Amino acid sequence: MLALQLDALLMALMIAVLLLLLTAVFPWILSAVGSKSKVTREELVEVVRCLKCGYESVRRHEKGDYVGKIVGSCPNDGGSLVVKAIYVEKYVQTS
Amino acid sequence: MDGGNDIVSYLIVLLFLASFLMNFTDIPQKIQMQRFSSFVRRRLYTLEELEADTRRKAIAYMSSVGVKEPSRVLEGFIDNFFLIRPVDIEPTDIIKRLKHLVRVRERSVRDYVKRVLSDAEKSVQYSVESILEVASALRLLNKLIRHYLELGIKYNNWIMVMQLAMQIPEVMEVAKAYAGSVDAFSSGIPIGDGVGPLVAKMLAGWREPSRELSEGTDLYEVEIDKKKVYVIKASGPGSNVGWPGEALERLVKECGGNIDRIITVDAALKLESEESGEVAYGAGAAIGDLGPEKIAMERVASEYSIPLDAVVVKMSEAEALSPLSKKIYEGVLRAYDTVLGIIKEKVREGGTAVVVGVGNTVGVR
Repeated sequence: MLALQLDALLMALMIAVLLLLLTAVFPWILSAVGSKSKVTREELVEVVRCLKCGYESVRRHEKGDYVGKIVGSCPNDGGSLVVKAIYVEKYVQTS
Repeated sequence: MDGGNDIVSYLIVLLFLASFLMNFTDIPQKIQMQRFSSFVRRRLYTLEELEADTRRKAIAYMSSVGVKEPSRVLEGFIDNFFLIRPVDIEPTDIIKRLKHLVRVRERSVRDYVKRVLSDAEKSVQYSVESILEVASALRLLNKLIRHYLELGIKYNNWIMVMQLAMQIPEVMEVAKAYAGSVDAFSSGIPIGDGVGPLVAKMLAGWREPSRELSEGTDLYEVEIDKKKVYVIKASGPGSNVGWPGEALERLVKECGGNIDRIITVDAALKLESEESGEVAYGAGAAIGDLGPEKIAMERVASEYSIPLDAVVVKMSEAEALSPLSKKIYEGVLRAYDTVLGIIKEKVREGGTAVVVGVGNTVGVR
């Protein structure tokens, strides 16, 4: 009878230790299992705009370009193309 | 039966002993202090790497623009050019004194860069100034973290070390953003803080400025919806914030106060629950300087009873220093629409408005 009680007590202690361990590693398991967004690629792009007709397009940034720089002529009406903005485009992959 | 009894007895004794050690001695604190100090130390190594990397980039950029002995120039800048804040227990004319000290420091930095880069154009000089400032800021950050860590260990102040460990992830974010901004400054790419100048440039229709209003600050004159709009922004495309407060003060006085509305546009720090690129508007001067520029805006607006609006684009501190992201760019477009809406709805036909694009104009002419 006493042996059974002791075994139960030992079991309870082991379960308590196991639960404590699980509590400690639970946040880590959660973060490892949960879905993550990963930036796979970054590209520097610029928006160019026609000062005459408002035509806009996004293209790869060229070294030396800045916002307000005239970088060519519009394919639609030949108006001046100005750099409207330069920003980083991030391509995100969700796992 | 006896074996099981022994194990349980040992375990109970062990539990009592552990409970005593944990509750009535300083051992847990010592262990925590060890853990937290090693955590901070590991971050410090990363911080040192960031600093070294920034120095390398700064030296490379300075050599590329023609600075002779760039490492000597860098060393001569770091740890120098500090600013001692004016006495504030006697607040009389504190803004005048602060403005004077800020200008003196700015001129000293400008002269220092001019001495080594006299032939380079202004935008390059401004970018070198900013890169030197970034390297100096990273050095200071590194020294401060090391100071508090060593102080905590020296006086066994585990609370100080623990606080430092709790705060260091935020510090690391800022440090990484600072280090990243060097690339933006050296290659002339707009940063998050440049939303104000970007909106200003859009309003000005990407024209060339009509004139320089105050040092490093340009004025554009446009007509929107039959209303005259003056646009003020720092002179680009180098890294420069200009003196927008002084420029606005000068312009309003030149116009004899005949201005219907002043609209300021700037980046604002977002709360964690807010999305980057969110746009909000309100009243006041949207500018985050030490004080002189902001007070100049407030004073001139209140002197002539001109309504003063603020339009802000929300972002984190790291985003403000990093190259512009798509989210922030979309915020710029929304801020532009908001400013346009204010001009159309709140400025009378034939009236005059002033839009001040506040922030660093790197990459924006």
